[in-house]
Amino acid sequence: MKKVIRTLLASSILAISVQAAAETKVGFIYVGPKSDYGYNYAQDQGRLYMEEHMDDVETVYFENIPENADVQRVMERMVRSGVEVVFPTSYGYLDHALKVAEKYPDVHFAHSGGLKTSDNLMTYFAEIDQAMYLAGVAAGLTTETNQLGFIAAHPIPQVLRNINAFTRGAQSVNPEVTTSVIWTSSWSDPTKEAEAAEALISGGADVLTGHVDSPINYVQVAERRGVYSVGYHADASQFAPKGWLVGAIWNWGPMMVDIVNSAKDGSWKSEHLRGDLLTEAAMLSDFGAAVSEDDKQTVLDRQKAIMDEEFQVWAGPVIGQDGTVIVEEGDTMTLEETEKMDFLVQGVQGRLK
Amino acid sequence: MEYFTTELLTLLFAALRSATPVLAVVLGEAMTQRSGVINLGVEGQMLLGAMTGFAVASVTGDPWLGVIAACCAGIALSMVHAILVLGCGANQIASGVAVLILGGGLSAYYGTPFVGDKIDALGNLNHTFVSDIPLLGEFLGPITPTVLITLLAIPAISIFLFRTRTGLRWRSTGESQDITRNLGHNPTYYQLAAIAFGGLMSGFAGAALAVDYTANWVEGMTAGRGLVAVGLVIVARWNPWYALPAALLFGASEALNLKLQSWGVDISPYLLATLPYMIPLSVLMLSYRGLRASGGGMPAGLRVVFQSAR
Repeated sequence: MKKVIRTLLASSILAISVQAAAETKVGFIYVGPKSDYGYNYAQDQGRLYMEEHMDDVETVYFENIPENADVQRVMERMVRSGVEVVFPTSYGYLDHALKVAEKYPDVHFAHSGGLKTSDNLMTYFAEIDQAMYLAGVAAGLTTETNQLGFIAAHPIPQVLRNINAFTRGAQSVNPEVTTSVIWTSSWSDPTKEAEAAEALISGGADVLTGHVDSPINYVQVAERRGVYSVGYHADASQFAPKGWLVGAIWNWGPMMVDIVNSAKDGSWKSEHLRGDLLTEAAMLSDFGAAVSEDDKQTVLDRQKAIMDEEFQVWAGPVIGQDGTVIVEEGDTMTLEETEKMDFLVQGVQGRLK
Repeated sequence: MEYFTTELLTLLFAALRSATPVLAVVLGEAMTQRSGVINLGVEGQMLLGAMTGFAVASVTGDPWLGVIAACCAGIALSMVHAILVLGCGANQIASGVAVLILGGGLSAYYGTPFVGDKIDALGNLNHTFVSDIPLLGEFLGPITPTVLITLLAIPAISIFLFRTRTGLRWRSTGESQDITRNLGHNPTYYQLAAIAFGGLMSGFAGAALAVDYTANWVEGMTAGRGLVAVGLVIVARWNPWYALPAALLFGASEALNLKLQSWGVDISPYLLATLPYMIPLSVLMLSYRGLRASGGGMPAGLRVVFQSAR
């Protein structure tokens, strides 16, 4: 209402007939191409879901915006063109978004994955490591060599959470399991990912997963070499009809719709909004034919335990790579602690730095 | 011992796989530079080739058509460089960078609808006679056609360049356009052919990546390999035979980075990631000691390019 009055006032003062836009403009900024079949693709699917499910919303987006002052300019440009809700979707956008948010207190910002808020900036993310834990359970039940392979881009908390959750999931059903990690130092380098997959398989790993932009590359190599694969970010089961176990995938749409609605009706809260398996912002994909009915049931039972909050992925004991106890039995890591994770758990082979 | 041999062979063939796209570009770019033209746009041509090849393979269902389309796309984009450089007399460095960016942009724009498509791969030598060869069969089997074609291109290019009359004029154009002109030939035709050949090879390299090796299209998937190849031309001293060890050096260092990690070697992954650049750079520095006067075999015509860019 305030906005309408202000619009009317502004238009009468300036004596320009401004037709109050019926549509809310929502802007998205991606760090990579929206067609990466991975992280940015998943965020963009959320945008498309919003366009489809909200009549009075218009979306704009910018791709390939680096995490530096450029993104501030992009945000300012969006705001000046009438965007009312901005989704800076990359981790490194946070501080820039905070600056722009301070300058434009009437515009709402929803940052993906950050741990800072301001009056008009909230953060959203989803605990996809729950799904990775479950995928780890499936991998631990399936592996014959007891070696899992993980192709990882950069050692940031989100990636470490997934490596550790996957490994802990596998260990929970098969204590012998180890996970070998190969860092590719790039979110997207298909050749390197394929070669890393080859190296892991010839090293004895028989279930591959990863945290790079697109799961397609390692999933295809795994299928070609006759081993199993677990996807991440997006469902890649069509690339591995034989070896696909399951995947951990995003589903941002409903969450983003809620955020935009809250900005429109004034119920906006500057908080850390976190989805999980229960809200289906992060979820398990369909199982592949390689997973037996019994194993599937084991995974689904564990999923139910997580959803009912009977079981928590980061409940102690959490033991570090070198055997030190990081979380005591009886304790559980807080959201803050998991989102700042900087260690690998016992059973992971590979160096952090 | 057997374990050691197996691991060594695994590494060697991994190096060959990683090296193939780079090798194809090195061969093409070496031929371009042999005519006195440098094309920094090969990375863009690779990307357009990769995208076109993947798209055609996806639409027609025939990966070989994809490879051919990729070669055509590479040639087509290289013609932009030809028009700018030969037609308009533009600065070769600037024109090359323009082609690089154009290729990246065009491939990103037109490639979007094909992301996540599934294509048939080109196949490999498995289930042919080579997979029955003892010890080596296990490694020769997974070799794909683009690897073989690229390897066969080395002797073909070498014979053309050093054993034919056209090859001689090609080289003389690179040394001095006046010589070619005085012999009654138009150097521009040779340079045009050289740019087109560079386009063909980089387009093919794109197909080797997208249609054969990864069977996937991702925006910017060459990840700098085209530019690395331009650098490796210097390591290879503009010689098609030296192109193989130069490209293998890069491929081996890249494979070694990943292999060492999978072995759990206790070295920082950040340091390991510099291997593909450190090793060729070191070899370049070592192998060029005392070669400064001769320029390591650089075609004399290229000197003009660098001087005009200054």
